[in-house]
Amino acid sequence: MKGGGRHARRRRLSAGARTAGLLVAAGLVAAGAGAAGLALTRHADVPQAAALQVLPAPTGPIEAAPTEGAASVAEPVSLVIPSIGVSASLVHLGLTSSGALQVPPTTAVAGWYTGSPRPGSIGSAVIAGHIDSVTGPGVFFRLSQLQRGARVYVRRADGTLAVFEVTEVQMFPKDAFPTTAVYGAVPDPELRLITCGGTFDYSTRSYLSNTVVFAKEVS
Amino acid sequence: MRFTKFARRIILLAALPLLLLAIPAASVVTASAATGTGWIRLAHLSPNTPAVDVYLYSFGDSSAQIVLHHVAYGTVSPYEQVPAGDYTVAMRAAGAVATSAAVISASVDVAPGHAYTVAGLGPESGLRLQVLDDQLSTPSGQAVVRIIQASLKQSVVSVKWGSDTLQSSLKFGAVSSYQTVTAGTATLTVSGGGDNATASVPLAAGTVHTLVVLDGTNGLQIDNLLDAAGSGVDPAGGAGTGFGGMAPHGPSSPLPWLAAVGAGLLLAVGGGLRLRSRRAPAAAAGRHQRVPAARS
Repeated sequence: MKGGGRHARRRRLSAGARTAGLLVAAGLVAAGAGAAGLALTRHADVPQAAALQVLPAPTGPIEAAPTEGAASVAEPVSLVIPSIGVSASLVHLGLTSSGALQVPPTTAVAGWYTGSPRPGSIGSAVIAGHIDSVTGPGVFFRLSQLQRGARVYVRRADGTLAVFEVTEVQMFPKDAFPTTAVYGAVPDPELRLITCGGTFDYSTRSYLSNTVVFAKEVS
Repeated sequence: MRFTKFARRIILLAALPLLLLAIPAASVVTASAATGTGWIRLAHLSPNTPAVDVYLYSFGDSSAQIVLHHVAYGTVSPYEQVPAGDYTVAMRAAGAVATSAAVISASVDVAPGHAYTVAGLGPESGLRLQVLDDQLSTPSGQAVVRIIQASLKQSVVSVKWGSDTLQSSLKFGAVSSYQTVTAGTATLTVSGGGDNATASVPLAAGTVHTLVVLDGTNGLQIDNLLDAAGSGVDPAGGAGTGFGGMAPHGPSSPLPWLAAVGAGLLLAVGGGLRLRSRRAPAAAAGRHQRVPAARS
């Protein structure tokens, strides 16, 4: 009796329920594929940059800060950070119409904010550079990898060098940018290097954080 | 009854992609605490006191951290960055042994991020070591300035910057508070008694200055000290220094995938229901025997 019932069920299965079964199977496959697609696209595709090339320290007359006045230090023209392979010329940066810091016109150069003290004179000099372009790494791509104690060299228009030592490397959300710590007055020659970092927001096409390197002049 | 289990599975399946979505990107590194250092500088501004050796001791440490030899009247040292904490400043006659009794000493509590000037002020007979709190901020686009009156020859002076009177009668040994001035270059005029001294003094936006009035070889002398400097105008907010080319190519939009998951689940549920409604009448008789009513 039981065996007969099963045969009957199998026959019925093969008829109408097969479509239902197919529906279930197809649905599960589709859902699985969707979940897999979702999972795969959640995984970040991290672009790779060329290997780091450490540079030799630049040579030239090193001049420490004068104790009085700010005008006697020449303007900065280039920047070398040997340990992260940075060697770039410096452009002048001002403010945008909305009062934000201008950024360099290309990702191959860095810029000195002309509203800040000249590097090597008393005060907090500010240099900003891009972490990347739309296609590849920018001049400050490896800024966040700088170690405390690393040397930063700024060459000035008169050929002299100001030499700095990294004291801090920190990341801040842009909506909580430490304006006073970066742009505020300090009583000794210091340097701030700024680039982007953290998560890139594709909807606004901008990074959500800034990496800031704090450095002080080596006397 | 059986259907609830089926539904539970489907809910689990549906929740899976949501769980995947919930895995956040690596969180942003938080800023570490401040470096915990401050600044200190030492000054000899007592006109008739001979040169001194100035010692800076970390409190409780008998060996000096900094020794400045033969510091003469009018000398102000550069700032030294020191760990926050208590310090003692001692002055001895130039060349006196380090273990000899100090002529004068003072204690300084250095707070992190703050700067201090420890200055010998007044006449030799009434020499005092004063700890001055140095300002490290300026109103946007402006400069701040204070005056130390260290001239004994003219015991009262007035100070004008351009046409602005900064001080009308500052007494010998006195230190004014900081005043905000419009940034720019102007003529500084110090006058006292019949004496007059002028100098073209630039006070840039974002800078903090101390102007020291000294007895020069001929009359009054002005020393313009740059205490601190920052940006004349602070840029608003962070810097837009990246275009995303090296950013992890994050999820474009999860919506198509979510739609696929949703549609698939709907399909599966629909199929499942249909399967059940077809199986139910046929299996009803047998199931009662095979599976006692164990589930509720």
